[in-house]
Amino acid sequence: MSTVGQLALLFIGAALINNILLTRFIGLCPFFGVSGNFETSLGMSLAVVFVMTLASTSTWVVWTFLLEPLGVGEFLYIPAFILIIASLVQFVEMYMRKVSPVLYRAMGIYLPLITTNCAVLATATEAAKPGFFKMNIDLGASLGLGEALIYTLGVSVGFGFALISFAALRERLDIAPVPKVMKGNPMAFITAGLLSLAYVGIAGWFGL
Amino acid sequence: MDLMLILKAVLTLSALGLITSAVLSTAARRFYVEVDPRVEAVAAILPGSNCGACGNPSCFTVAEGIVEGTLPVNACVAGGQSCADSIAVLMGAEACAVASVVSIRACGGGNKAERAFEYGGVQSCAAVARLAGGSLVCTAGCLGYGDCVEACPFDAIAIDERGLPVIDLDACTGCGICVHNCPRGGVGLLSLVPENAPVAVRCNAHDKIKDRKAACSACCIACKKCERACPADAIHVIDALAVIDYEKCTACGTCVSVCPQNCIDIHGRAATIPPRAADGHGKNAPGFAVQDQAAE
Repeated sequence: MSTVGQLALLFIGAALINNILLTRFIGLCPFFGVSGNFETSLGMSLAVVFVMTLASTSTWVVWTFLLEPLGVGEFLYIPAFILIIASLVQFVEMYMRKVSPVLYRAMGIYLPLITTNCAVLATATEAAKPGFFKMNIDLGASLGLGEALIYTLGVSVGFGFALISFAALRERLDIAPVPKVMKGNPMAFITAGLLSLAYVGIAGWFGL
Repeated sequence: MDLMLILKAVLTLSALGLITSAVLSTAARRFYVEVDPRVEAVAAILPGSNCGACGNPSCFTVAEGIVEGTLPVNACVAGGQSCADSIAVLMGAEACAVASVVSIRACGGGNKAERAFEYGGVQSCAAVARLAGGSLVCTAGCLGYGDCVEACPFDAIAIDERGLPVIDLDACTGCGICVHNCPRGGVGLLSLVPENAPVAVRCNAHDKIKDRKAACSACCIACKKCERACPADAIHVIDALAVIDYEKCTACGTCVSVCPQNCIDIHGRAATIPPRAADGHGKNAPGFAVQDQAAE
Protein backbone atom coordinates (compact mmCIF):
# COMPACT_ATOMS: atom_id res chain seq x y z
CA MET A 1 0.00 0.00 0.00
CA SER A 2 1.92 2.97 -1.17
CA THR A 3 0.80 4.36 -4.48
CA VAL A 4 -1.91 6.97 -4.85
CA GLY A 5 -4.22 4.46 -6.50
CA GLN A 6 -3.98 2.10 -3.58
CA LEU A 7 -4.66 4.95 -1.15
CA ALA A 8 -7.74 5.90 -3.15
CA LEU A 9 -8.87 2.27 -3.02
CA LEU A 10 -8.30 2.26 0.72
CA PHE A 11 -10.42 5.40 1.05
CA ILE A 12 -13.30 4.07 -1.02
CA GLY A 13 -13.10 0.67 0.61
CA ALA A 14 -13.37 2.24 4.04
CA ALA A 15 -16.04 4.79 3.09
CA LEU A 16 -18.46 2.81 0.93
CA ILE A 17 -17.76 -0.90 0.68
CA ASN A 18 -17.07 -1.34 4.37
CA ASN A 19 -19.26 1.53 5.52
CA ILE A 20 -18.96 1.47 9.26
CA LEU A 21 -22.64 2.25 9.89
CA LEU A 22 -24.45 0.23 7.28
CA THR A 23 -22.26 -2.81 6.75
CA ARG A 24 -20.37 -3.09 10.05
CA PHE A 25 -23.23 -1.75 12.25
CA ILE A 26 -20.90 0.14 14.54
CA GLY A 27 -21.98 3.55 15.87
CA LEU A 28 -25.70 3.03 15.44
CA CYS A 29 -26.63 5.25 18.39
CA PRO A 30 -25.84 8.56 16.66
CA PHE A 31 -27.16 7.02 13.44
CA PHE A 32 -30.64 6.92 14.95
CA GLY A 33 -30.21 9.61 17.57
CA VAL A 34 -29.35 12.62 15.45
CA SER A 35 -30.70 11.61 12.05
CA GLY A 36 -34.13 13.17 12.62
CA ASN A 37 -32.93 16.52 11.38
CA PHE A 38 -30.71 17.31 8.39
CA GLU A 39 -28.89 20.20 10.08
CA THR A 40 -27.94 18.28 13.21
CA SER A 41 -26.77 15.31 11.17
CA LEU A 42 -24.50 17.64 9.21
CA GLY A 43 -22.98 19.04 12.41
CA MET A 44 -22.60 15.54 13.81
CA SER A 45 -20.88 14.30 10.65
CA LEU A 46 -18.37 17.14 10.74
CA ALA A 47 -17.68 16.42 14.41
CA VAL A 48 -17.18 12.72 13.64
CA VAL A 49 -14.73 13.42 10.82
CA PHE A 50 -12.82 15.75 13.12
CA VAL A 51 -12.79 13.52 16.20
CA MET A 52 -11.99 10.31 14.32
CA THR A 53 -9.03 11.85 12.54
CA LEU A 54 -7.73 13.26 15.79
CA ALA A 55 -8.33 10.03 17.67
CA SER A 56 -6.66 7.84 15.04
CA THR A 57 -3.59 10.04 14.92
CA SER A 58 -3.17 9.95 18.68
CA THR A 59 -3.82 6.23 19.08
CA TRP A 60 -1.46 5.48 16.20
CA VAL A 61 1.29 7.49 17.88
CA VAL A 62 0.68 5.93 21.29
CA TRP A 63 0.52 2.44 19.85
CA THR A 64 3.63 2.77 17.70
CA PHE A 65 5.85 4.58 20.17
CA LEU A 66 4.57 3.41 23.55
CA LEU A 67 2.38 0.34 23.73
CA GLU A 68 4.01 -1.80 21.04
CA PRO A 69 7.65 -1.24 22.09
CA LEU A 70 6.74 -2.04 25.70
CA GLY A 71 4.87 -5.15 24.63
CA VAL A 72 1.77 -4.31 26.68
CA GLY A 73 -0.47 -3.24 23.79
CA GLU A 74 -2.23 -6.55 23.24
CA PHE A 75 -4.20 -6.32 26.48
CA LEU A 76 -3.88 -2.64 27.34
CA TYR A 77 -5.08 -1.09 24.12
CA ILE A 78 -8.73 -0.54 25.09
CA PRO A 79 -8.23 1.35 28.40
CA ALA A 80 -5.27 3.24 26.98
CA PHE A 81 -7.11 4.31 23.82
CA ILE A 82 -10.26 5.28 25.71
CA LEU A 83 -8.17 7.36 28.06
CA ILE A 84 -6.37 9.12 25.24
CA ILE A 85 -9.37 9.74 23.04
CA ALA A 86 -11.58 10.95 25.89
CA SER A 87 -9.07 13.40 27.27
CA LEU A 88 -8.08 14.61 23.81
CA VAL A 89 -11.69 15.35 22.90
CA GLN A 90 -12.19 17.09 26.23
CA PHE A 91 -9.11 19.17 25.59
CA VAL A 92 -10.22 20.12 22.08
CA GLU A 93 -13.65 21.04 23.40
CA MET A 94 -12.18 23.39 25.99
CA TYR A 95 -9.78 24.89 23.48
CA MET A 96 -12.51 25.39 20.91
CA ARG A 97 -14.83 26.99 23.43
CA LYS A 98 -12.15 29.51 24.34
CA VAL A 99 -10.73 30.25 20.91
CA SER A 100 -13.67 29.98 18.54
CA PRO A 101 -17.13 30.23 20.08
CA VAL A 102 -18.68 30.15 16.60
CA LEU A 103 -17.07 26.83 15.73
CA TYR A 104 -17.98 25.59 19.20
CA ARG A 105 -21.65 26.37 18.57
CA ALA A 106 -21.61 24.61 15.22
CA MET A 107 -19.68 21.50 16.22
CA GLY A 108 -18.71 21.62 19.86
CA ILE A 109 -22.02 20.47 21.26
CA TYR A 110 -21.62 17.16 19.44
CA LEU A 111 -18.11 16.54 20.72
CA PRO A 112 -19.01 15.14 24.17
CA LEU A 113 -21.64 12.96 22.53
CA ILE A 114 -19.08 11.05 20.51
CA THR A 115 -16.11 11.27 22.88
CA THR A 116 -15.58 7.55 22.93
CA ASN A 117 -18.31 6.50 20.63
CA CYS A 118 -17.90 2.88 19.52
CA ALA A 119 -17.30 3.92 15.93
CA VAL A 120 -14.54 6.30 16.99
CA LEU A 121 -12.89 3.71 19.20
CA ALA A 122 -13.17 0.97 16.58
CA THR A 123 -11.69 3.13 13.84
CA ALA A 124 -8.91 4.51 16.00
CA THR A 125 -7.99 1.03 17.17
CA GLU A 126 -8.11 -0.38 13.68
CA ALA A 127 -5.94 2.43 12.36
CA ALA A 128 -3.37 1.93 15.11
CA LYS A 129 -3.33 -1.84 14.94
CA PRO A 130 -5.23 -3.52 12.09
CA GLY A 131 -7.09 -6.67 12.96
CA PHE A 132 -8.34 -5.95 16.47
CA PHE A 133 -11.83 -5.23 15.24
CA LYS A 134 -13.42 -7.38 12.58
CA MET A 135 -13.76 -4.55 10.11
CA ASN A 136 -13.68 -6.88 7.10
CA ILE A 137 -11.07 -4.79 5.38
CA ASP A 138 -7.62 -6.18 4.79
CA LEU A 139 -5.24 -3.54 6.03
CA GLY A 140 -2.16 -5.74 6.23
CA ALA A 141 -0.12 -6.16 9.39
CA SER A 142 0.29 -2.50 10.19
CA LEU A 143 -0.34 0.92 8.68
CA GLY A 144 1.87 3.94 8.23
CA LEU A 145 0.60 7.18 9.71
CA GLY A 146 -0.49 8.46 6.28
CA GLU A 147 -2.36 5.27 5.49
CA ALA A 148 -3.98 5.31 8.91
CA LEU A 149 -5.16 8.86 8.28
CA ILE A 150 -6.56 8.03 4.84
CA TYR A 151 -8.31 5.00 6.29
CA THR A 152 -9.82 7.07 9.12
CA LEU A 153 -10.91 9.81 6.73
CA GLY A 154 -12.57 7.16 4.58
CA VAL A 155 -14.43 5.65 7.52
CA SER A 156 -15.56 9.00 8.88
CA VAL A 157 -16.63 10.35 5.49
CA GLY A 158 -18.56 7.12 4.97
CA PHE A 159 -20.13 7.60 8.38
CA GLY A 160 -21.11 11.17 7.55
CA PHE A 161 -22.42 10.22 4.12
CA ALA A 162 -24.61 7.46 5.50
CA LEU A 163 -25.84 9.64 8.37
CA ILE A 164 -26.69 12.63 6.17
CA SER A 165 -28.42 10.55 3.49
CA PHE A 166 -30.41 8.76 6.20
CA ALA A 167 -31.40 12.09 7.76
CA ALA A 168 -32.57 13.34 4.37
CA LEU A 169 -34.66 10.17 3.95
CA ARG A 170 -36.17 10.56 7.41
CA GLU A 171 -37.11 14.17 6.81
CA ARG A 172 -39.05 13.09 3.72
CA LEU A 173 -40.60 10.17 5.57
CA ASP A 174 -41.98 12.61 8.13
CA ILE A 175 -44.44 14.01 5.61
CA ALA A 176 -45.05 10.75 3.76
CA PRO A 177 -48.36 8.92 4.37
CA VAL A 178 -46.85 6.23 6.58
CA PRO A 179 -49.34 3.99 8.44
CA LYS A 180 -49.82 5.30 11.95
CA VAL A 181 -48.35 2.27 13.73
CA MET A 182 -45.21 2.56 11.63
CA LYS A 183 -44.64 6.27 12.07
CA GLY A 184 -41.38 7.46 13.57
CA ASN A 185 -38.82 4.91 14.70
CA PRO A 186 -40.31 1.72 13.19
CA MET A 187 -40.21 3.30 9.73
CA ALA A 188 -36.69 4.56 10.42
CA PHE A 189 -35.54 1.04 11.29
CA ILE A 190 -37.00 -0.41 8.10
CA THR A 191 -35.44 2.37 6.04
CA ALA A 192 -32.10 1.77 7.71
CA GLY A 193 -32.38 -1.91 6.83
CA LEU A 194 -33.06 -1.14 3.16
CA LEU A 195 -30.23 1.39 3.10
CA SER A 196 -27.96 -1.23 4.61
CA LEU A 197 -28.95 -3.73 1.90
CA ALA A 198 -27.93 -1.18 -0.70
CA TYR A 199 -24.53 -0.68 0.90
CA VAL A 200 -23.92 -4.40 1.31
CA GLY A 201 -24.81 -4.63 -2.37
CA ILE A 202 -21.87 -2.39 -3.27
CA ALA A 203 -19.54 -5.09 -1.98
CA GLY A 204 -21.26 -7.47 -4.40
CA TRP A 205 -20.21 -5.35 -7.41
CA PHE A 206 -16.61 -6.11 -6.64
CA GLY A 207 -17.24 -9.75 -5.88
CA LEU A 208 -16.03 -9.36 -2.34
CA MET B 1 3.55 -14.85 35.67
CA ASP B 2 5.79 -12.20 34.29
CA LEU B 3 6.11 -9.60 37.02
CA MET B 4 7.86 -7.17 34.70
CA LEU B 5 4.95 -7.22 32.28
CA ILE B 6 2.44 -6.39 35.03
CA LEU B 7 4.68 -3.61 36.27
CA LYS B 8 5.06 -2.24 32.76
CA ALA B 9 1.31 -2.30 32.16
CA VAL B 10 0.51 -0.58 35.44
CA LEU B 11 3.20 2.03 34.95
CA THR B 12 2.23 2.72 31.35
CA LEU B 13 -1.42 3.22 32.16
CA SER B 14 -0.78 5.33 35.23
CA ALA B 15 1.74 7.43 33.33
CA LEU B 16 -0.77 7.97 30.53
CA GLY B 17 -3.47 8.83 33.06
CA LEU B 18 -1.22 11.25 34.92
CA ILE B 19 -0.09 13.01 31.77
CA THR B 20 -3.58 13.41 30.36
CA SER B 21 -5.04 14.57 33.66
CA ALA B 22 -2.23 17.10 34.04
CA VAL B 23 -2.84 18.38 30.54
CA LEU B 24 -6.59 18.54 31.13
CA SER B 25 -6.39 20.34 34.45
CA THR B 26 -3.95 22.88 32.99
CA ALA B 27 -6.23 23.35 30.03
CA ALA B 28 -9.27 23.72 32.26
CA ARG B 29 -7.59 26.64 34.01
CA ARG B 30 -5.94 28.07 30.91
CA PHE B 31 -8.99 27.97 28.66
CA TYR B 32 -11.53 28.72 31.34
CA VAL B 33 -14.49 30.56 29.89
CA GLU B 34 -16.30 32.66 32.42
CA VAL B 35 -19.98 31.92 32.34
CA ASP B 36 -22.23 34.36 34.10
CA PRO B 37 -24.44 32.33 36.48
CA ARG B 38 -27.27 34.71 35.64
CA VAL B 39 -27.35 33.28 32.10
CA GLU B 40 -28.49 29.92 33.45
CA ALA B 41 -31.03 31.62 35.72
CA VAL B 42 -32.48 33.69 32.89
CA ALA B 43 -32.53 30.65 30.61
CA ALA B 44 -34.53 28.80 33.26
CA ILE B 45 -37.18 31.54 33.26
CA LEU B 46 -37.50 31.68 29.47
CA PRO B 47 -40.02 29.24 27.95
CA GLY B 48 -37.25 27.12 26.46
CA SER B 49 -39.23 26.11 23.41
CA ASN B 50 -36.74 27.85 21.06
CA CYS B 51 -39.64 29.14 18.99
CA GLY B 52 -37.63 31.95 17.41
CA ALA B 53 -40.42 34.53 17.60
CA CYS B 54 -38.01 37.11 19.00
CA GLY B 55 -35.67 36.67 16.04
CA ASN B 56 -32.95 34.87 17.98
CA PRO B 57 -31.94 31.30 17.24
CA SER B 58 -32.54 29.87 20.71
CA CYS B 59 -33.73 30.74 24.19
CA PHE B 60 -30.17 30.34 25.44
CA THR B 61 -28.80 33.02 23.11
CA VAL B 62 -31.58 35.30 24.32
CA ALA B 63 -30.54 34.62 27.93
CA GLU B 64 -26.94 35.47 27.03
CA GLY B 65 -28.07 38.62 25.26
CA ILE B 66 -30.17 39.74 28.22
CA VAL B 67 -27.31 39.21 30.65
CA GLU B 68 -24.82 40.96 28.37
CA GLY B 69 -27.25 43.81 28.03
CA THR B 70 -27.58 43.58 24.25
CA LEU B 71 -31.22 42.51 24.53
CA PRO B 72 -33.91 44.08 26.72
CA VAL B 73 -35.43 42.06 29.57
CA ASN B 74 -38.67 41.87 27.63
CA ALA B 75 -36.96 40.34 24.59
CA CYS B 76 -38.98 37.14 24.86
CA VAL B 77 -42.18 37.49 22.87
CA ALA B 78 -43.62 34.12 23.81
CA GLY B 79 -42.97 34.43 27.55
CA GLY B 80 -45.06 37.57 27.81
CA GLN B 81 -45.33 39.92 30.71
CA SER B 82 -44.80 37.44 33.57
CA CYS B 83 -41.58 36.19 32.00
CA ALA B 84 -40.30 39.75 31.48
CA ASP B 85 -41.16 40.66 35.06
CA SER B 86 -39.25 37.74 36.58
CA ILE B 87 -36.23 38.48 34.40
CA ALA B 88 -36.40 42.15 35.33
CA VAL B 89 -36.35 41.21 39.02
CA LEU B 90 -33.36 38.94 38.42
CA MET B 91 -31.44 41.50 36.40
CA GLY B 92 -32.32 44.41 38.64
CA ALA B 93 -33.72 46.26 35.68
CA GLU B 94 -36.95 48.17 35.64
CA ALA B 95 -39.87 46.11 34.53
CA CYS B 96 -41.24 47.13 31.20
CA ALA B 97 -44.37 46.25 29.30
CA VAL B 98 -44.33 43.59 26.66
CA ALA B 99 -46.12 44.38 23.45
CA SER B 100 -47.82 41.03 23.22
CA VAL B 101 -49.31 39.82 20.02
CA VAL B 102 -51.52 36.88 19.25
CA SER B 103 -52.19 35.00 16.07
CA ILE B 104 -55.42 35.63 14.20
CA ARG B 105 -57.08 33.77 11.34
CA ALA B 106 -58.61 35.84 8.54
CA CYS B 107 -60.99 33.34 7.06
CA GLY B 108 -64.51 32.24 7.95
CA GLY B 109 -64.95 29.76 5.12
CA GLY B 110 -64.05 26.34 6.39
CA ASN B 111 -66.67 23.82 5.32
CA LYS B 112 -68.70 26.61 3.72
CA ALA B 113 -66.01 27.35 1.13
CA GLU B 114 -66.51 25.83 -2.32
CA ARG B 115 -64.09 23.05 -3.29
CA ALA B 116 -62.36 23.20 -6.65
CA PHE B 117 -61.69 19.45 -6.59
CA GLU B 118 -61.85 16.48 -4.25
CA TYR B 119 -58.53 16.01 -2.57
CA GLY B 120 -57.51 12.64 -1.19
CA GLY B 121 -53.76 12.97 -0.89
CA VAL B 122 -51.46 13.69 2.02
CA GLN B 123 -53.49 15.48 4.69
CA SER B 124 -51.37 18.60 4.87
CA CYS B 125 -52.01 22.20 3.85
CA ALA B 126 -48.51 22.48 2.41
CA ALA B 127 -49.12 19.45 0.16
CA VAL B 128 -52.55 20.52 -1.08
CA ALA B 129 -51.38 24.11 -1.62
CA ARG B 130 -48.76 22.81 -4.06
CA LEU B 131 -51.38 20.90 -6.00
CA ALA B 132 -52.99 23.30 -8.49
CA GLY B 133 -52.98 26.04 -5.87
CA GLY B 134 -55.09 24.23 -3.30
CA SER B 135 -58.42 22.46 -3.23
CA LEU B 136 -60.48 25.59 -2.58
CA VAL B 137 -61.92 27.83 -5.25
CA CYS B 138 -60.95 30.74 -3.01
CA THR B 139 -57.25 31.48 -3.37
CA ALA B 140 -56.96 33.10 0.06
CA GLY B 141 -59.05 30.84 2.27
CA CYS B 142 -58.06 28.36 4.93
CA LEU B 143 -57.30 24.91 3.50
CA GLY B 144 -58.16 23.31 6.82
CA TYR B 145 -55.65 20.45 7.01
CA GLY B 146 -54.17 21.84 10.16
CA ASP B 147 -50.50 22.53 9.41
CA CYS B 148 -50.79 25.32 11.97
CA VAL B 149 -52.11 22.84 14.55
CA GLU B 150 -49.10 20.60 13.97
CA ALA B 151 -46.68 23.51 14.01
CA CYS B 152 -47.88 25.23 17.19
CA PRO B 153 -45.37 24.53 19.96
CA PHE B 154 -47.87 25.63 22.60
CA ASP B 155 -50.84 23.47 21.50
CA ALA B 156 -52.91 26.60 21.12
CA ILE B 157 -54.64 25.73 17.84
CA ALA B 158 -57.37 23.20 17.14
CA ILE B 159 -59.58 22.59 14.10
CA ASP B 160 -63.21 23.02 15.11
CA GLU B 161 -66.39 21.56 13.60
CA ARG B 162 -66.51 24.34 11.00
CA GLY B 163 -63.24 23.04 9.59
CA LEU B 164 -61.35 26.11 10.72
CA PRO B 165 -58.41 26.43 13.07
CA VAL B 166 -59.40 28.17 16.29
CA ILE B 167 -56.66 29.83 18.26
CA ASP B 168 -56.85 29.47 22.02
CA LEU B 169 -55.87 32.95 23.12
CA ASP B 170 -54.96 31.67 26.58
CA ALA B 171 -52.28 29.47 25.13
CA CYS B 172 -51.22 31.60 22.14
CA THR B 173 -47.97 33.41 22.78
CA GLY B 174 -47.71 35.20 19.47
CA CYS B 175 -44.58 33.33 18.42
CA GLY B 176 -45.76 33.38 14.81
CA ILE B 177 -44.72 29.82 13.97
CA CYS B 178 -48.21 29.07 12.66
CA VAL B 179 -47.93 32.08 10.34
CA HIS B 180 -44.67 30.75 8.93
CA ASN B 181 -46.02 27.24 8.54
CA CYS B 182 -49.27 28.25 6.89
CA PRO B 183 -48.85 28.05 3.09
CA ARG B 184 -51.16 31.06 2.91
CA GLY B 185 -49.70 32.82 5.94
CA GLY B 186 -47.66 34.99 3.61
CA VAL B 187 -50.80 36.42 2.01
CA GLY B 188 -52.40 37.20 5.36
CA LEU B 189 -54.54 34.17 6.19
CA LEU B 190 -52.83 33.97 9.55
CA SER B 191 -51.27 37.09 10.98
CA LEU B 192 -50.16 38.54 14.27
CA VAL B 193 -52.29 41.27 15.83
CA PRO B 194 -51.99 43.15 19.11
CA GLU B 195 -53.11 41.01 22.01
CA ASN B 196 -55.96 43.35 22.81
CA ALA B 197 -57.24 43.59 19.25
CA PRO B 198 -60.97 43.24 19.92
CA VAL B 199 -62.50 42.44 16.55
CA ALA B 200 -61.37 40.41 13.60
CA VAL B 201 -62.30 40.38 9.92
CA ARG B 202 -62.66 36.74 8.96
CA CYS B 203 -61.88 37.14 5.31
CA ASN B 204 -58.73 37.68 3.37
CA ALA B 205 -59.89 37.60 -0.24
CA HIS B 206 -58.73 40.27 -2.66
CA ASP B 207 -60.25 39.03 -5.89
CA LYS B 208 -63.44 40.30 -7.54
CA ILE B 209 -66.54 40.35 -5.34
CA LYS B 210 -68.44 38.18 -7.83
CA ASP B 211 -65.74 35.50 -7.91
CA ARG B 212 -65.41 35.69 -4.18
CA LYS B 213 -69.11 35.14 -3.56
CA ALA B 214 -69.10 32.15 -5.88
CA ALA B 215 -66.20 30.66 -3.96
CA CYS B 216 -67.48 31.08 -0.43
CA SER B 217 -70.63 32.10 1.35
CA ALA B 218 -68.85 33.61 4.32
CA CYS B 219 -66.67 36.17 2.57
CA CYS B 220 -66.40 39.92 2.99
CA ILE B 221 -68.51 41.44 0.20
CA ALA B 222 -67.08 44.95 0.64
CA CYS B 223 -70.54 46.44 1.26
CA LYS B 224 -68.96 49.17 3.42
CA LYS B 225 -71.69 48.91 6.05
CA CYS B 226 -69.06 48.51 8.76
CA GLU B 227 -67.07 51.45 7.41
CA ARG B 228 -70.15 53.68 7.62
CA ALA B 229 -71.29 52.32 10.97
CA CYS B 230 -67.97 52.56 12.80
CA PRO B 231 -68.13 55.50 15.22
CA ALA B 232 -64.36 55.60 15.64
CA ASP B 233 -63.48 55.61 11.91
CA ALA B 234 -61.45 52.44 12.52
CA ILE B 235 -62.65 50.32 9.62
CA HIS B 236 -61.95 51.04 5.99
CA VAL B 237 -62.62 48.93 2.97
CA ILE B 238 -59.28 48.72 1.22
CA ASP B 239 -58.93 46.67 -1.98
CA ALA B 240 -62.51 45.45 -1.53
CA LEU B 241 -61.80 44.08 1.95
CA ALA B 242 -62.66 45.50 5.35
CA VAL B 243 -59.49 46.35 7.28
CA ILE B 244 -59.51 47.32 10.95
CA ASP B 245 -57.15 49.90 12.38
CA TYR B 246 -56.49 48.54 15.87
CA GLU B 247 -55.04 51.89 16.96
CA LYS B 248 -58.46 53.47 16.60
CA CYS B 249 -60.78 50.55 17.39
CA THR B 250 -62.66 51.02 20.63
CA ALA B 251 -64.21 47.57 20.72
CA CYS B 252 -67.74 48.94 20.59
CA GLY B 253 -68.85 46.00 18.50
CA THR B 254 -70.95 48.01 16.03
CA CYS B 255 -69.26 46.49 13.00
CA VAL B 256 -69.94 43.01 14.35
CA SER B 257 -73.66 43.68 14.50
CA VAL B 258 -73.99 45.39 11.11
CA CYS B 259 -71.98 42.92 9.02
CA PRO B 260 -74.50 41.10 6.80
CA GLN B 261 -72.05 38.28 6.14
CA ASN B 262 -71.20 37.70 9.82
CA CYS B 263 -67.65 37.96 8.72
CA ILE B 264 -66.52 40.37 11.42
CA ASP B 265 -66.57 38.92 14.89
CA ILE B 266 -65.28 39.54 18.33
CA HIS B 267 -61.89 37.92 18.38
CA GLY B 268 -62.59 34.42 19.59
CA ARG B 269 -66.35 34.89 19.77
CA ALA B 270 -67.27 31.78 17.86
CA ALA B 271 -64.44 29.79 19.35
CA THR B 272 -65.22 26.44 20.88
CA ILE B 273 -62.42 27.16 23.29
CA PRO B 274 -63.46 29.90 25.74
CA PRO B 275 -61.81 33.22 24.93
CA ARG B 276 -59.36 34.89 27.23
CA ALA B 277 -61.75 36.68 29.55
CA ALA B 278 -59.28 38.77 31.50
CA ASP B 279 -57.80 40.27 28.37
CA GLY B 280 -61.13 41.38 27.02
CA HIS B 281 -61.51 38.92 24.21
CA GLY B 282 -65.04 37.67 23.75
CA LYS B 283 -68.12 39.81 23.92
CA ASN B 284 -69.11 38.77 27.45
CA ALA B 285 -65.66 39.22 28.88
CA PRO B 286 -65.41 41.49 31.89
CA GLY B 287 -62.29 43.13 30.52
CA PHE B 288 -64.25 44.51 27.62
CA ALA B 289 -65.48 47.58 29.44
CA VAL B 290 -62.08 48.18 30.97
CA GLN B 291 -60.64 48.21 27.52
CA ASP B 292 -63.15 50.82 26.42
CA GLN B 293 -61.93 53.11 29.12
CA ALA B 294 -58.34 52.45 28.26
CA ALA B 295 -58.99 53.34 24.65
CA GLU B 296 -60.61 56.58 25.63
